[in-house]
Amino acid sequence: MDGSIGISNLEKVYGEGTERTKAIDDLSFDIDGGEFVSVVGPSGCGKSTLLYIIAGFLDITDGTVSVDGTPIDGPGTDRGVVFQDYALFPWRTVKENVLYGLEEAGVPDEEADATAQRFIDMMDLSGFENKYPKELSGGMKQRVALARTLAYDPKILLMDEPFGALDQPLRETLQDQLIDIWGDLDKTVVFITHDVEEAVYLSERVMIMTRHPGTKKTVTEVDLDRSGPREDIVTSDEFTRKKNEVWRSLREETKSEVQP
Amino acid sequence: MATNELWTPERIPDPFAGVAKLLFDWIPLLLLVLGWEVVSGRAVSESVLPPPTAVAAATVDLFATGEVVPHLAVSLLRVGVGLSLSIVVGVLLGIGMSQSEAVENFFDVFLSLIYPLPKTALVPLALLWLGIGTKTAVLIVFLACLLPIVMNANNAAENVDRNLIRSARMMGTSDRRLFWKVVIPATIPEILTGIRQAIPFAFISLISAELIASEQGMGRLIRDAGSLGRYPAMFATIVIISAVAYTAVYGFEQVRERVLVWT
Amino acid sequence: MDVDVRSLGASSIVDSLKSIYSLVLLLVLWEAVTRMGLIYPYFLPQLSVVIHEFVVLVSTGQMIHAAYLTLMRAFVGLAGAAVAGVAVGILCARNALFEWFFDPLIKIGYPVPVISLVPVFMLWFGIGDVSKIIMVAVGTFWPIAVNARDATRQVEQNLIRSARMMGTGDRRLLWRVILPAASPGIFTGLQIATPIALIITFVFEMVAGGGGLGALEIAGVRGFNSAQTYAVIFAIIAIGLVLDRLLRAARTRLLDWT
Repeated sequence: MDGSIGISNLEKVYGEGTERTKAIDDLSFDIDGGEFVSVVGPSGCGKSTLLYIIAGFLDITDGTVSVDGTPIDGPGTDRGVVFQDYALFPWRTVKENVLYGLEEAGVPDEEADATAQRFIDMMDLSGFENKYPKELSGGMKQRVALARTLAYDPKILLMDEPFGALDQPLRETLQDQLIDIWGDLDKTVVFITHDVEEAVYLSERVMIMTRHPGTKKTVTEVDLDRSGPREDIVTSDEFTRKKNEVWRSLREETKSEVQP
Repeated sequence: MATNELWTPERIPDPFAGVAKLLFDWIPLLLLVLGWEVVSGRAVSESVLPPPTAVAAATVDLFATGEVVPHLAVSLLRVGVGLSLSIVVGVLLGIGMSQSEAVENFFDVFLSLIYPLPKTALVPLALLWLGIGTKTAVLIVFLACLLPIVMNANNAAENVDRNLIRSARMMGTSDRRLFWKVVIPATIPEILTGIRQAIPFAFISLISAELIASEQGMGRLIRDAGSLGRYPAMFATIVIISAVAYTAVYGFEQVRERVLVWT
Repeated sequence: MDVDVRSLGASSIVDSLKSIYSLVLLLVLWEAVTRMGLIYPYFLPQLSVVIHEFVVLVSTGQMIHAAYLTLMRAFVGLAGAAVAGVAVGILCARNALFEWFFDPLIKIGYPVPVISLVPVFMLWFGIGDVSKIIMVAVGTFWPIAVNARDATRQVEQNLIRSARMMGTGDRRLLWRVILPAASPGIFTGLQIATPIALIITFVFEMVAGGGGLGALEIAGVRGFNSAQTYAVIFAIIAIGLVLDRLLRAARTRLLDWT
C-alpha cells in the first residue's frame, strides 16, 4: 500500500451510436507512490475524465487502471477527490463535513473528533467549526474540502482544478499549504490544472495531454529545490525553463487545434 | 468491457424510434387502464368502478346527446372570466404596488390576510352575497388565481434590473414610456409564471364552487350523476374536465415557451 | 400546483401601523355601515355581532370541535401523502423502473382537479372521516411526489460521489446524502400541499357534512345565521395565518443551512 497508480492502454468513450465520442485514447502512464503529478491540457482534453476514472466514478471502456497493482472497481477510501466546486455537504457544519469520512469508517467518536480537529487546525479553520458552508468564502470552502478529504486518510489525493475559481493571492497561499501537506503526509497527488505555472510550481512531473481524443503528449520532469520561499522558487532559472518547456508543448497542442 | 456495439437502439431509423419510445413511455398508463378494465365487474362491483369502456361510452354519449355541452360551456365561461379578471387585476395590483407606496400600504394587509386562506372557504360567503350560480363561481376562481399573479408580478416589477432602466433613460426614454417599454416587458416572464401557477387553482376553485353552489357546470354534473347513480357518466364528466385542465396547463406552457423565446 | 411561498415584501401586519390602516378603516366602515342599517344584516351582520358569535362558538366548544375535526382530517391525510409521496418521488428519481412506471402517471395525474373526485370518494368510502382523509391524501400526494422527485433529481452528482469515495454504500446513501440534500425541495412540497389539504377538507365538509369548519360555515348560510359564516371565516383566516407562520418557522429552524 504505497499509493502507486498504473494506467495502461486506457480508452474512454462517451455515448453510443452516432453520439459516440472518444474522450481518452490509448493512454498509458504510471505514477509512483508518494509522487506529485500534474496533468495539464487544453480544455476538453479529457483530463477531468481521467481523474474521475481513477476516482472510480466513471466506467472504463478499455484498458486498465490499477492502484497498488489491483485494478480499481468503483470509488474507494484509498483515493480522495478534491472537487473544483468543493462538493461540501451543505447541511453539515465545517466540523461535521470533516467528520463524515471518519463516521463512515466507524472511527470511535473521541478519536474521530480529535482527528477532525487536527485537520481543521491544519487548514486554518479554527473558529469556523460550527459554520455552514454557505457562510464561507470560496477559499475557505476549498480548505474544508481538503480537510475533509485528508481526515479519512486516503493514500491518493485526486485534485480537479481545486484552486481554479480562486483569486491569485489565495491560490498561492493554498498552493504553499498543499506543498507542506504533501511533504508532511506522504500522499500521492494527481493534480489537474490548466495553469502551467501552478503545475510546474507544485509537481515533480507534469503530463501534457492532447485533445480529441485525449492522450499523453509529453511528460516533463520538474526537479526544483522547493525548500526556499516562493519568491526564490518562481524566479529561479530552472523554474522559468521548465515553465517555458511545458508552455511550448501546450501551445503546440492548442495551435494544432486551431489549424487542423 | 466490450467497446464494439454494432447494434444499438439508437441505430433504429429516427421516426420509428420516436414512435417506439412514445409507446414504451405510455405502457404504464395502458397497463393501468387495462388493470382497471379487468378489475371492474370482477374484484369490485361495476357500479362502484365502471370499466373504462363504459366510461368511454358514457363520454361519447354525453356529447352525442348534448347533455354535457351547456355544463361544459358554463364552466369554461366561469373559469375563463375568473382567470382573465385575476390576470388584469393581478398585474395592475402587482405592478402598482411596486410603483407606489400608497398602493402597497393599502392593499398589502388584505393580501397578507387572504394569502394563507384556502380560497374555497370563501364559497359560502360568495354564496351569501351573490347567490347560487355563475357570479359565485367567477368570484372564487378570481380570488384563487389573484394571489399567485399579484405576487409574481409584484416580485418581478420590484426587481427589474436597474441597469435596464438606466440604459433606457440614457437613451432618452421618458418616465411614462419607461413603464410600457421596460417595466412591463421585463415582468412578462414572471407574470406568465404566475398565470401558470394559477391555472390549477382556477379549476379546483371552479369545481369546488360548482359542487357547493351551482345549478349548472361540470362540478354540478359530477355531483348529480353521482347522486342519481349514473356512475359511468360521473366518471366521464371527471375525465372531460380533467382533459380540459390538462390541455389548459400544457397548452399554456407551450404558449409561454413561444412567447418567451428571448429568455 | 407550484405556488410560490415567499411572503409579500416585508411581512406586514405586526411590523408597521402604516400598513394596517386600511384594514382598520375597513373594519370601522363595516361596523358603521351596518349600524346605520345600510346593508341587509343577512349579507353583512354588524362586526360586533360577528365577534360576539365568534366568542359564543368558541366558548360553547363548537368552534374548537369543528377546528379539531377539520385539522385532524387534513393532517392525517397529509401525513399519509407525505410518506407515500416522498417515497414514490425519490424512487422515481433514483430508479429507472419506477421512473418509467410513475412518470407518465404523474404527468397525467398532476393536472387533474382532484376536488372533482369528492363525489367519487363519497361513493367509494362514504361521507365519514375515512373518506375525507383518503381524499386529502390522494389530492396532496401529487405536489409532494413531484417536488420530492424533482428535488432528488437535482441532488448534485458530486455530493453523491463525495459520499461514495468516503465509503458510503448504496443503502446508507439515501439517509446520509439523498434525503438531506433533497429536504428543502421536499419541504416546499409540504408547504404547497398544506393549503390544498385544507381546501379539500373544507369542500368535502361543505358537500358531505359530518362536522368540521366547512360544515359549520355552510350551515350558517343555510340556517340564515350569516354571523356564524363570518365567524368561521375569521377562524379559518387565523388558522391559515398560524399554519403559514409555523411552516415558515419550521423551515428556518430545520433548514437553517440553506
